Amino acid sequence: MQYQMNEFLFAMILTELEDAVGKENCSTRTIDKVTHSVDYYWLSRMWADRGCRMPEADIIVCPENAEEVSKVLKIANYYKLPVTTWGAGGGTQGGAIAVCGGIIVDTKRMNKIYEVNTEGMYIECGTGAIYKHIEWAANEVGKATMHYPSSLTCSTVGGFLAHRGIGVVSTKYGKIDDMVLQMEVVLPNGDIIYTSPAPKHAAGPDLNQIFIGSEGTLGIITKAQIRIFDQPEERRFRGFLFQDMHAAFVASRELLQKFKPSVMRLYDEAETASLIKKIVGVARKGAFMNVAIEGCRELVEVEEKLLLSTFAKYGAEDLGSEYGEKWWKEKITFFYPGHMMDIPQMFGTMDTIAPYDKIEKIYWAMKNAIETNYPQAKFIAHFSHWYEWGSMIYDRFIVEGKDVPQDPVEALRLHQAIWTCGVRAALANGGVVNDHHGVGIKLGRLMKEQYGSAMQVFEGLKKQLDPNGIMNPFKLGL
Amino acid sequence: MNLSEKCKAHVESCRFCWMCHHICPIGNATGQERSTPRGRALGISLVQREAIGLEEIMDNVYECALCGACVYDCTTGWDPVLFTKETRLAAALDGKTPAYIMALVEKCLTTGNAYGKTALCSTLTEAINAHAEKTDTLLYLGADARYAACTQAVKAIRVLEKAGVPFTVLLDEAPSGAQLDFLIGAANETREAMAAAAKQMDAYKTVVFYDPNDAKLFKQTAKEYGVETAASLSTYTAFLAALVKDGKLAAKKGDKTVVFQDPFQLARDLEETEEARSVISAFAELHEMHLNRGETVWAGNTLMAEYIPDVIRLVAKRRILNAKSLGENVIVTASPSEYVSLKAVAEDVEILSIEDLILA
Repeated sequence: MQYQMNEFLFAMILTELEDAVGKENCSTRTIDKVTHSVDYYWLSRMWADRGCRMPEADIIVCPENAEEVSKVLKIANYYKLPVTTWGAGGGTQGGAIAVCGGIIVDTKRMNKIYEVNTEGMYIECGTGAIYKHIEWAANEVGKATMHYPSSLTCSTVGGFLAHRGIGVVSTKYGKIDDMVLQMEVVLPNGDIIYTSPAPKHAAGPDLNQIFIGSEGTLGIITKAQIRIFDQPEERRFRGFLFQDMHAAFVASRELLQKFKPSVMRLYDEAETASLIKKIVGVARKGAFMNVAIEGCRELVEVEEKLLLSTFAKYGAEDLGSEYGEKWWKEKITFFYPGHMMDIPQMFGTMDTIAPYDKIEKIYWAMKNAIETNYPQAKFIAHFSHWYEWGSMIYDRFIVEGKDVPQDPVEALRLHQAIWTCGVRAALANGGVVNDHHGVGIKLGRLMKEQYGSAMQVFEGLKKQLDPNGIMNPFKLGL
Repeated sequence: MNLSEKCKAHVESCRFCWMCHHICPIGNATGQERSTPRGRALGISLVQREAIGLEEIMDNVYECALCGACVYDCTTGWDPVLFTKETRLAAALDGKTPAYIMALVEKCLTTGNAYGKTALCSTLTEAINAHAEKTDTLLYLGADARYAACTQAVKAIRVLEKAGVPFTVLLDEAPSGAQLDFLIGAANETREAMAAAAKQMDAYKTVVFYDPNDAKLFKQTAKEYGVETAASLSTYTAFLAALVKDGKLAAKKGDKTVVFQDPFQLARDLEETEEARSVISAFAELHEMHLNRGETVWAGNTLMAEYIPDVIRLVAKRRILNAKSLGENVIVTASPSEYVSLKAVAEDVEILSIEDLILA
């Protein structure tokens, strides 16, 4: 049923939502609308920078628990109002922008830490908890979450789950989808469900993996058990300079068949050129790689020997530990204003992932596509999450100065075009739409290009779980 | 709204930065996205671009405690407190201060305190009168202690009596200007109040500030505002630490195990963290909260409780949770305002002031 919203009906719906979550947790104030309309997505920031207002939700609700979320979703379903879930707004893909208005469900009141369980090695928390807060809770009992993305302080547990996030020690400890045990999810019809008590089982497909990465299109994750780990006895760093990226890939693949370092970061020649001068004082050609190994001291000793011997075999120059230690201390500093790319620059991080037999080809294809079609854009990349079978590219384009259109629509069009060009090059060579930032509204159009007829699986889930299509419309290509 | 270029630069940097999203005690307690430095900066930047009206952000501008947790956390030196205070001042000059804030300003201007109180409680009056005689040392109680935490103010006097040091307390203590500074920043009214208080202080060799907020104002902010006093200035905690060290205040370690709630004004603004600890350690077993010293989490105040009492209750409750998560059940404060905030919501934890510990 399509209908025209009017003042009377709006006031009626508002009273129902206030009844569901409490009047003080329900807002139509301008300040709440605008702060929930600009996330870390470059286009939303650019739009605000140009003095324009992004699409805004009509009502922002802040439920305290799954029961309140359930009430909100039942109301939204009855009135067929769009519902967009908001964690902390740290997403880069516009996944949390209420492009169709309606209701924003801000999860941050669901921030309770229910249990720090050192026997089961997990923390059970509301998904509105900022990840840094659960890291603090883990630290209080001598443990750690080992999920350390640069957005550790900017994002909620739910935000990382919704977009399949990843941290800098992922090579050893895994992505967020490896970090979670059981989850509580509110379905679009308001039903509250629980995924299986343990994630590794043969009791059918893994329900967790249906909702992780679904970006609020299939329901709202309200509670999660997040794994914790012992603090490593020792963490050692080592920097290497390879003659080229190919040698680094071959050496890393061999290394990963032996053991998993925690940090592995390989920089392309463009990024190496600026980094290496800082490290050794002079410009050098090649591909720089920073590796960390950690855990029990005895194992670290052995792993360090394996690391040095394996990389030496492929001609890597050992640059010592100084850079790595400094990088670890300042790994988040790079993302503060003045250090990080920011407006007025135009930029994007087009991360993708592929097996070793394709990853280099993808890198060169994306680089050539961007630099050929958009010569005003600078292309840099590093490879920072590694598996026994492949690696992730964290490639960026940067446009500066007069090449960035001041007109917001023109800027949007150029931004979209560069993204489409880069991601299509990745897809054409065996990559995926995205590795760990998600899809959002930014890349939804490319999901069908990646999945083809497999997209009907997602569409079927969407149709069954959310027949009114209220959950985060136009995100994830759904 | 007329903001300085320096202020605008801070706004432009913070509006799209999420790095301190986790740190705001109010944002963490309420879960409100607007209660983040980036939310506040975004609002101000949109006002600057005439996308929204100034009046639409003013409530949010007054939801900031100016505690500086975000400033302390920022590794690149951006300062949300700076632009929040300057926006308050600019709004006041534009006549856009919210009515409920103007009511507090009016009370400050007419009664000398934001609570509109015109008389002290009788016990405090009696305690002050016992120290009316002029000495070299002035114990400056401050508006929060005098009008919102008078029992604590009396205890502050009793502790110095116990140490046997001569000191003066003024019944007609001039308002410090701290409340005005919080409400309207560096306005003429604030500077005038500070200048009058400074003139009163000039008559003493040493001024001991019981309230860390007043200590911060005179030891740090006054220089920026061009207000000076000839007196030597000390925090109450530093003064007590010296008394304990000199043996004038006899230490007697009790059987309590406590954690200390660092007032942000001492820990972050004045970088004074060990003086209170040395006093507490002389009277109790001191443990540490996870977020302590410069990383302390503000636990509420009595001034903001005048206009957002429910929020202040949430803030205090959340800080108590920090102690409870470590199994601690006694919190010691060094700020009369935080003492009142925590005490108001403490259910299964004990809230003590340093004076309580000493006088026990």
